[in-house]
Amino acid sequence: MLNLSFRYDQTAVRLQVEGLPDFSAGHGDGILGIISGWRLQLVASPELEGKREHLQALMATVLPYARHRISGVKRAFGDTASAVVISPDGDKHQLLLRSSQPNIPPLTLHLDHAELADLVRCLDALRLDPRVQVPWELPIDHPLPRKELAERVPLSQRFGAPFIGGTALALIAGLSLLLPVPRSSEGTLPPANSTTPEQTQSSSNR
Amino acid sequence: MTLKTVLGRRGLERLDLLLLVVESLDLNGGEAMLWTTQQLGLQEQFPNRVELWKRRCHNPLRRATRRGELSAFDAEAMLRLLCSMASRLYPLLHQLLSSREPEELNLQRWALLDQRLRDLIEERMNPRRGAVQRLLQQEQSQPIQRELVFSLALAAGDGGIDRLRASLLDPTP
Repeated sequence: MLNLSFRYDQTAVRLQVEGLPDFSAGHGDGILGIISGWRLQLVASPELEGKREHLQALMATVLPYARHRISGVKRAFGDTASAVVISPDGDKHQLLLRSSQPNIPPLTLHLDHAELADLVRCLDALRLDPRVQVPWELPIDHPLPRKELAERVPLSQRFGAPFIGGTALALIAGLSLLLPVPRSSEGTLPPANSTTPEQTQSSSNR
Repeated sequence: MTLKTVLGRRGLERLDLLLLVVESLDLNGGEAMLWTTQQLGLQEQFPNRVELWKRRCHNPLRRATRRGELSAFDAEAMLRLLCSMASRLYPLLHQLLSSREPEELNLQRWALLDQRLRDLIEERMNPRRGAVQRLLQQEQSQPIQRELVFSLALAAGDGGIDRLRASLLDPTP
């Protein structure tokens, strides 16, 4: 049977994918349609290997993370149940990989910016390779919602201006309450001892 | 996927700033850009340096800024040019971002980039703008420069253009 193997190299990362053409999907001889295994070599890290599901999980986690990083948003992708979790770690990126086999502790790798860029380039090269016809089901790169972008702005910067504005408004409102109300000549009450026309009339009747 | 909508103010600023970083990394950046436009078949849009400069002047942070919007067609061409330049300069970007490079050497590389970028910004950007002042202040400029170089590294390669395009279309937070 025709076994295919494709390799994607960058300075610090090497990704190798093996598999077979999917003849049921009408693929030709040189087209990889079924992934039987993959290997990922990162400089100064143990070699990783797995099945198609693991590679899918790696792509579905790392590529959205890179999409957010290019917009300056630093947030983790993946949760406690995910096979792959990537999160910012200071100037680096922490990649946590959980094995599907029992009793194997998760592997944690720390990638610098250059290594992450290499990994992203290798994954991009694989998913866009016309010789690999695998439906990856990855999210398309879209502009991020305003809410996510707002989170990259520090709280002090985000709420600083509204806070100062609100405080200034409250201060001005408070000071304006302390000012005496101006007396107008028409609106003033008559003095208490002044006699009204009715009082004058009643006194004359007596 | 191509750019179908017009870039907003932030997108234009960022696109031009990333091209400025490319020029700081490549001493012969202006010529290299023109040569790359020919390689990409964009010579009708950018037949010479002046045409490219005119498109870049839509950046509102420029000293000589142009009114009006940059068309989606021109923005897409500039995006392709930028990503192609980023791919060409990727080894240099990798060196700058790698923690495995000799520290002293990398500090010198960053200092050189900082100096060139500062010179270009002072020459071409409006210094009265707050964003330009931030780029020129030592403490604030370093993390911004690092993010810009990292963005260029993520924009390089096959899928980089889609990523960068989406980020340039991000709304203003």
